[in-house]
Amino acid sequence: MKQTEYTPNIVAFTCNWCSYGSADLAGISRIQYPPSVKVVRLMCSGRVDPLMVIESFKNGADGVMVTGCHLGDCHYSTGNYRTKARFEALQKAMKLMGLHPDRLRLLWASASEGQQWAEAIIDMTERLREIGPNPINNGGGGK
Amino acid sequence: MSDSDVRIGVFVCHCGLNIAGTVDCPRVAEYAGGLDGVAHSEDLMFACSDDGQETIKKRIREMGLNRVVVASCTPRTHEPVFRACIEEAGLNRYLYDQVNIREHVSWVHMEDHELATLKAEMLIRMAVERVKYLEPLERKAVDVIQSAAVIGGGVAGISAALDLANAGFETHLIESRPTIGGQMALLDKVFPQNDCAICILGPIMSKVGQHPKINLLTYSEVDDVQGYVGNFHLKVRKKSRFIYEDKCNGCGECEAVCPVSVSNTYEFGLATRKAIYRPFPQAVPNKYTIDKRGTAPCRIACPAHVNVQAFVALLREKKFDEALEVYRRTSPFAGTLGRVCTNPCQTECERGKYDEALSIRNLHRFLADYEREHGGVNVDPITPDKKKAKMKVAIVGGGPSGLACAYDLAREGYPVTVFEARKEAGGLLRWGIPEYRLPRDVLRDEIGILKQMGVTILTRTKVESIDELKEQGFKAVFVATGAPKSRMMRVKGEKAKGVYHALSFLDRVNSGKTVAIGQKVAVIGGGNAAIDAARTARRLGAKKVTIVYRRSREEMPAIASEVEAAEQEGIKIKFLSTPVEILTADKAVSGMKCIKMRLGTPDESGRRRPVPIPDSEFKMSVDTVIVAIGQEVTQDALLTGLEPSMWGTLEVDPVTLATNMKGVFGGGDVVSGGGTAIEAVATGKEAAKSIDRYLRKVDLVEGREEILIPIENIEVDETTFQMHYAPVVRALSMSKRKSTFEEVELGLKEKEAVAEAERCLSCAICCECEKCVEVCKPEAIDHSLRDEIIELDVGAVIVATGLSAYDPSGTREFGYGTFDNVITNAQLERLTNAAGPTQGKPKRPSDHEVPKHVSFVQCVGSRDRRVDQDYCCYIGCANSLKQAVQIKEKFPEIEVTIYAMDIRAHGPGYEELYNRAREMGVVVIRSRPSEVEEVPETKSLIVYAEDLYTGERLETTTDLVVLATALMPNTETAELAQKMKLSTSKHGFLMEAHPKLRPVDSFQDGVFLAGAALGPMDIPKAVAYGKAAAAGAEALMAPGKFFVEPIYAEIDTELCINCDLCSDVCPYGAITGRGEERRVMFELCQGCGTCAAGCPEHAIDMRHFRRQQLMPEIIAAARTGGEMVQ
Repeated sequence: MKQTEYTPNIVAFTCNWCSYGSADLAGISRIQYPPSVKVVRLMCSGRVDPLMVIESFKNGADGVMVTGCHLGDCHYSTGNYRTKARFEALQKAMKLMGLHPDRLRLLWASASEGQQWAEAIIDMTERLREIGPNPINNGGGGK
Repeated sequence: MSDSDVRIGVFVCHCGLNIAGTVDCPRVAEYAGGLDGVAHSEDLMFACSDDGQETIKKRIREMGLNRVVVASCTPRTHEPVFRACIEEAGLNRYLYDQVNIREHVSWVHMEDHELATLKAEMLIRMAVERVKYLEPLERKAVDVIQSAAVIGGGVAGISAALDLANAGFETHLIESRPTIGGQMALLDKVFPQNDCAICILGPIMSKVGQHPKINLLTYSEVDDVQGYVGNFHLKVRKKSRFIYEDKCNGCGECEAVCPVSVSNTYEFGLATRKAIYRPFPQAVPNKYTIDKRGTAPCRIACPAHVNVQAFVALLREKKFDEALEVYRRTSPFAGTLGRVCTNPCQTECERGKYDEALSIRNLHRFLADYEREHGGVNVDPITPDKKKAKMKVAIVGGGPSGLACAYDLAREGYPVTVFEARKEAGGLLRWGIPEYRLPRDVLRDEIGILKQMGVTILTRTKVESIDELKEQGFKAVFVATGAPKSRMMRVKGEKAKGVYHALSFLDRVNSGKTVAIGQKVAVIGGGNAAIDAARTARRLGAKKVTIVYRRSREEMPAIASEVEAAEQEGIKIKFLSTPVEILTADKAVSGMKCIKMRLGTPDESGRRRPVPIPDSEFKMSVDTVIVAIGQEVTQDALLTGLEPSMWGTLEVDPVTLATNMKGVFGGGDVVSGGGTAIEAVATGKEAAKSIDRYLRKVDLVEGREEILIPIENIEVDETTFQMHYAPVVRALSMSKRKSTFEEVELGLKEKEAVAEAERCLSCAICCECEKCVEVCKPEAIDHSLRDEIIELDVGAVIVATGLSAYDPSGTREFGYGTFDNVITNAQLERLTNAAGPTQGKPKRPSDHEVPKHVSFVQCVGSRDRRVDQDYCCYIGCANSLKQAVQIKEKFPEIEVTIYAMDIRAHGPGYEELYNRAREMGVVVIRSRPSEVEEVPETKSLIVYAEDLYTGERLETTTDLVVLATALMPNTETAELAQKMKLSTSKHGFLMEAHPKLRPVDSFQDGVFLAGAALGPMDIPKAVAYGKAAAAGAEALMAPGKFFVEPIYAEIDTELCINCDLCSDVCPYGAITGRGEERRVMFELCQGCGTCAAGCPEHAIDMRHFRRQQLMPEIIAAARTGGEMVQ
């Protein structure tokens, strides 16, 4: 398969209050972006267990986005600080897993930042097209 | 959990064409029908409609469905609707998941229907995987506290509070200003009927103030909000007005005597108000407030904490005796220190950051001199306190430290005796400082103040021991005998004839004795004593006087103006040199050998240590040497028994100044080894404090510290600020300076002093001059009051913090802030207001003339991407039309032009207002002015614009330009939003849960939003929002209970290893207990799940977002890649 033709598969973990809202706002504003992202809705980005990210890559996701409220604005005060720490640990693990670091991305987006959500997806999709599909599991496939 | 008899129903919504226009819904429904566990799948037109919901319920019953997935719009809108729907059909509401195929699919992938449909299918598959594992959950009920808090006392907040209170709920109305009323209270008239704003609002404000169910907390801010719906805990800071609200009757006599004026924000800068003020006559509560920002930096810097700002403020008002009285609250030495103080206050003066620090020392000198010239020093004697008659205090040493101590103790009613060994008191002020700096009679008269007060000063009386004082019946002793001995240089030849030591040299001159001085004098040292010795030597006839100092000019400890004066008198300074030997001939000075120095590394004082340069010796031709390298304490008999420090000075406790002997305290140079006069005064005052406590048998330390609060941000009104330097102080003629001991510095004249006082920035605003206290008959003023923290428990919170106007100095093309006659709508509102600064006449700022032509420029800062404010201010058109009509009604001959891009006249009454304005002759030009220029002679303005209808270029001269400015959220709104976790929009306004259907709900249950904090709006809209928010709050509180979402964490104690990783990360402290008792308190848990993500044993998990429920969804999401590849 030609790398430029494939639509990357991005699993995005969102929080109910900010980042899911920014995705909604992108929709309400009719901002168009590629259909690469699959949103998993959680109450807080702090719920994102690093194992969830690893399972995503293990099962063939080309990219993973961990998203939440801006630091200091977390609906649950400090949840996203944990997210940040866990994300930083995951970043280091990417090399160990044999995965390109650009496959993992962190996005802080408030519920009024629809534009930023769309731009992040467009950006990441573009980047994943350049890097190519996930080497594990031959880029998905199988149920 | 996951059963083989899971029967999932999938419903794919068309949402009309919103989804179906992009996604092939029937195909998606078919796909879903083929998924494992799905018992039924269909597509619907509008799932959320009555019809749609009925269908869902029917299917649940018909097909025995036990799980439901709806693929439609965002769950953030309708999840509650569908949950309620399935509950009605007998299914637990948590056995449901919603897939977003509208906001996340059909609306954002409109170009590619095929991929959009595929994505919809994948998202449904994810949800199906999750929903298999969902479990039934029961909602728990919590009690709702039956009271509410409204934050913000503008018209929205007032409306909300009244409705809540009338419904019977205890309501706390919290307002940050001293009065409620917000923006509306400051308006003149309101459109479209042009009612008088305060006339209609005033009675409503009174009702709020008097309502038995409203707790009005004005001048208060919310510091912290904790809790959850039905149970909020607020910490409110009630700022101190420094006035007892129940005693103040609003008479205003305090305002009349207050000497501090600042720009009045309630008049939008067009007028001033006093530090003690009432925002406007109809203020509720109708009480005065003192605006005190802290302690001015000058006062903090002064070691004795003289209230500088207060005496300067009174001086400015020409109340010279009252100003002097303020100085004398601290010490009697206004004139003495006015001449010799090192003025640390001036170093910290805020004005110094702009042009030049205030000449503070010369100002209090002026006050003392003024008194001398108008009747002389006259102080009332103090009536001694009979109860203290036996508590005699002895002060040994009549220098500044001892005298300051006597001053304070005498004023407390103690019988004080000062023992002075010399023939006259004053210490180094009398015997060290030369007369050309401090004339004798100035010092004598100020020491005389103490005598007038009743202090006994015994001169020519040397005290030999502490015991003899105790025998004489003195109950406490203050030792302040100074450090009058000069330090020796310890070089060869120091004992020769012609070598003097500064302190004894100056003492001899000050005693009137003759001193033989040669023609070529060298003075060794760089402190004030060296300068004094050098300038004295000059006056005694020396032709050549050279100061030899071992460091450089920057390190000289002497007062800079003294050094300057010395050089003006022809005295030379040789830097970086020090003597190594004094050459003698016949045991008299014949010359001096010196060595050059360079500056090395810094020593303990921070100054760079001088290091001799080898082989750089040189000779100086001198016949007199005066050594001025420091002071020492003499080992007096008096000091026997008192513990010395390792430097030979008297050892005392740094806080209480107590020595090792009971009842004996020490201060001044005898402790410090050589400090400034003001430092000595400060220690004398501390000793007085200690002695007073000691004699009253009260703890010496507790509560003794004077509370000085530094000001964090000193506000300076930069628009009215003008650079202006301090006056140069007149000095004696040079010929007299070199030959006589007449006073050199001649001080400021009255006009100069008053002008100098006007430069004071009034940093603290209220300066505690206490003139208000003197005139307040109900005794309502207390400057020691402090902020109070009030804790409130409420069930609902309404946020109505309002907005503020844009400052148009940012868009420089209109000249606001530079040209006098360019003002804003808000300012014009005050000018036409009968209660405003011009009593209702629209006089223009430059000449107070009524203009002949007024121009309005609309949309200043609004609809403007350059300043990131591309929204309409909602009221600008109506406001300007209203003001134009107001002007035309009162002054029909004034020509009025409005430059607007559009006229937005919406709703009933506004088109009529526009027509009325046009009929009255108001000219409306469709344009956006590019620039406003000023005509310098008349201060009139030229407006450059292009008429967009005719294409004509216009250049119109006008007398007054009014800018219709943009509206922005208050800074307080941003802070509060952060504290309460409220979402804000791109422009900083609060964000409602849904712009159409939930305009007063926030995303936080129990927190409602009202008024202009949500965005620019007019008064009726703000009132409506306030009432709507109140209704929302009432709906929450009335049932008494609220159902809490059962989405909280749970611990399996079998797996838990008590590692505390979960409790460490929990923001709510919801985890408690250990071992088998370990559990999550569900009322506190808010359901974020951060604990579950970090548990190494998978022991703690989040209900409804369990690991087993999420992982299948995530894996399904990851695996969808294969199908998407072309």
